Amino acid sequence: MAVSAPQQATGQVATRNRREPKNVFQRAYRQWADYTYIMPALLAMFFVIAYPIAYTIYLSFYSTPTAGENVWNGLTNYTSIITAERFWMITQNTMYWTIVSTILAFIIGTAAALVAQREFIGRGLVRGIFLIPWVISHVATAYIWVWIFHSDYGLVSGMLMDLGIISSPLVILDSTTWAMPALILVNVWKDFPFIMIMMLAGLQTVPEHLLRAAKIDGASTWAQFRHVTLPHLKGVIIITLLLTIVMNLNHFTLPWIMTGGGPASSTHIWITEVYALAFRSLRFGIASAFSVILFIIMMSMAYFYVKAMTAGDDRRR
Amino acid sequence: MAEVRLDGLIKYYDDVLAVDDVNLTIKDGDFVALLGPSGCGKTTTLNLIAGLIDLSDGEIWIGDRDVTDLDPKDRDIAMVFQNYALYPTKTVYNNLAFPLQMRKTPKNAIDERVRKTAEMLSITHLLDRLPRELSGGQQQRVALGRALVRNPRAFLMDEPLSNLDAKLRVQMRAELKRFHQTLNATMIYVTHDQLEAMTMADNIAVMSDGRVQQYGPPEEIFYDPANLFVAGFIGSPAMNFLHGEISTENGVTSVKGDPGWVYPLTPANAQKASHCTSGRIIIGARPANLILSREEHPGMIPGSVYTVEPTGDTTFVHITIGDQIYVAITDPFFRAEPDDPIWVDLEDDRIHIFDEATEEVLREDGLNSQSIHGKKTLQPA
Repeated sequence: MAVSAPQQATGQVATRNRREPKNVFQRAYRQWADYTYIMPALLAMFFVIAYPIAYTIYLSFYSTPTAGENVWNGLTNYTSIITAERFWMITQNTMYWTIVSTILAFIIGTAAALVAQREFIGRGLVRGIFLIPWVISHVATAYIWVWIFHSDYGLVSGMLMDLGIISSPLVILDSTTWAMPALILVNVWKDFPFIMIMMLAGLQTVPEHLLRAAKIDGASTWAQFRHVTLPHLKGVIIITLLLTIVMNLNHFTLPWIMTGGGPASSTHIWITEVYALAFRSLRFGIASAFSVILFIIMMSMAYFYVKAMTAGDDRRR
Repeated sequence: MAEVRLDGLIKYYDDVLAVDDVNLTIKDGDFVALLGPSGCGKTTTLNLIAGLIDLSDGEIWIGDRDVTDLDPKDRDIAMVFQNYALYPTKTVYNNLAFPLQMRKTPKNAIDERVRKTAEMLSITHLLDRLPRELSGGQQQRVALGRALVRNPRAFLMDEPLSNLDAKLRVQMRAELKRFHQTLNATMIYVTHDQLEAMTMADNIAVMSDGRVQQYGPPEEIFYDPANLFVAGFIGSPAMNFLHGEISTENGVTSVKGDPGWVYPLTPANAQKASHCTSGRIIIGARPANLILSREEHPGMIPGSVYTVEPTGDTTFVHITIGDQIYVAITDPFFRAEPDDPIWVDLEDDRIHIFDEATEEVLREDGLNSQSIHGKKTLQPA
């Protein structure tokens, strides 16, 4: 020890005396190993993310006839999307789908979390059962529910007819009124476990001593929830809601497989519309412009998400 | 304020007995410390009084009300927690106001109480801040304020000073004692720090293994410990214990120590030792009651110096006797080399005699008024 101590001291002095290079390139050069390590990931990101984004933006300013060269047409793609009545109809569908799905899944997921948080016999089993919808793949879920809702040989119609509640088969996925509520039902069924897990994780971090203090201070169960649990969960709630909203805005599999946007476009949402425009109608220019609009909307959601995430870091409010 | 009476409290956690037949009466306006090592059941006892956990058996009375089956909010008690437990999203003002709001106090009365309490604790300038903007000491004051803002029937405190630094702790200790004296409040204070208990409490309940080992004023706990546990737990450095066998020759009762020394007992101590049923006793002597000599005298216990620790105004001398090490406190200028031979005498009217088998103290009349096996509710002596 006595021998190595002076050496350590000189080592520290030497480090301190090494001058920081002022030039950013010199600093980057000094950290060349770090950049080498992240280079493969950066390259992959460039080819699968940056390049497609750039190419989409490029295409969005062109008319793309199926035969022949792409033709520059400025903002025409954008204006024709925004001025079309169809865009606003689909936006309305998207809002309906996103807002109702998010609110319902949030309420049910939170309720499930509150139940799964309590101590009772068979809690583990209940938690496991609640997770089942989440672990089934979207495609499988979609086909299961298509079958359940089928008007001729579906479970819902069959059961209701057997019970004598209805006399003729219910038309669900082929009805412009009921297709969207049916999709939302499936979406909520699929997503509430995610919210349950997030809220359950949040609930488990509610400090026990605060609940105790509230009990002593005379708070009822509701007042404890209102004054201790809820403020503590604020960050988790915001992030869960944002994630769920983005997830729903981007949701493709369920609506596409179950209804393909129909009947009469009543279940078309932004993302299915973009897909249909690009790969059914082969109108890549319009589809690209549509994608760019969605990209801007999603990035603004991402801004709030990042803001909420970093807010939770240093100030626990 | 009210008297708090605990009647045969028993608490099991699954198969573990955490609180074992605790009987205590805390008089109206008394400051009582529940003192003991970690896991002795003191915090569990406090939580039982608060109603935060359910009893397995027994009764709790606050004043003339049986509160055993009442919710915490209906017991009319206030509690200060070790980690303060301030509501992080509420300002200091709202933290203080919360217990009053929950009791539907009128708004202007709340404002008046909050401001008065803040003034008393000198935290008026902090009322608009959030807890995370406060130092540990300030948070502690707010936590105290939240308890003082009401007029509860009793204050419960769970190691409220243990998260403060040493200097602040001494200051808050004095302030707490002052509060107790001015408010004349019934306070039950859990601590593992004997200094806190000794300095602040009117009465101390020393706990171990879920039981109250002794209940009485600090000086009684210190000068007249009821058993080996209390004797060893209170006092720093701890009491020295010398094990030996009683032998009587020519009418003189002596103790024959395990390493071979013989120490004659005074008639009074011999009388105490005569109540021993097993024939083997333990002599308990505080470090200050050991008298050291460099020369051999008859009736002294021979040993050798292990090490000497000067502390400034006293010196601790560690002494090897047989295979045990004992501590004596001597004058500040005592110096010795390791392994120097040394002889130890005891201040006979200050030593305690314990039965080795029962570990209970032996008194001249043979009665231990505070036997832990008694069923009666312990009143402070």
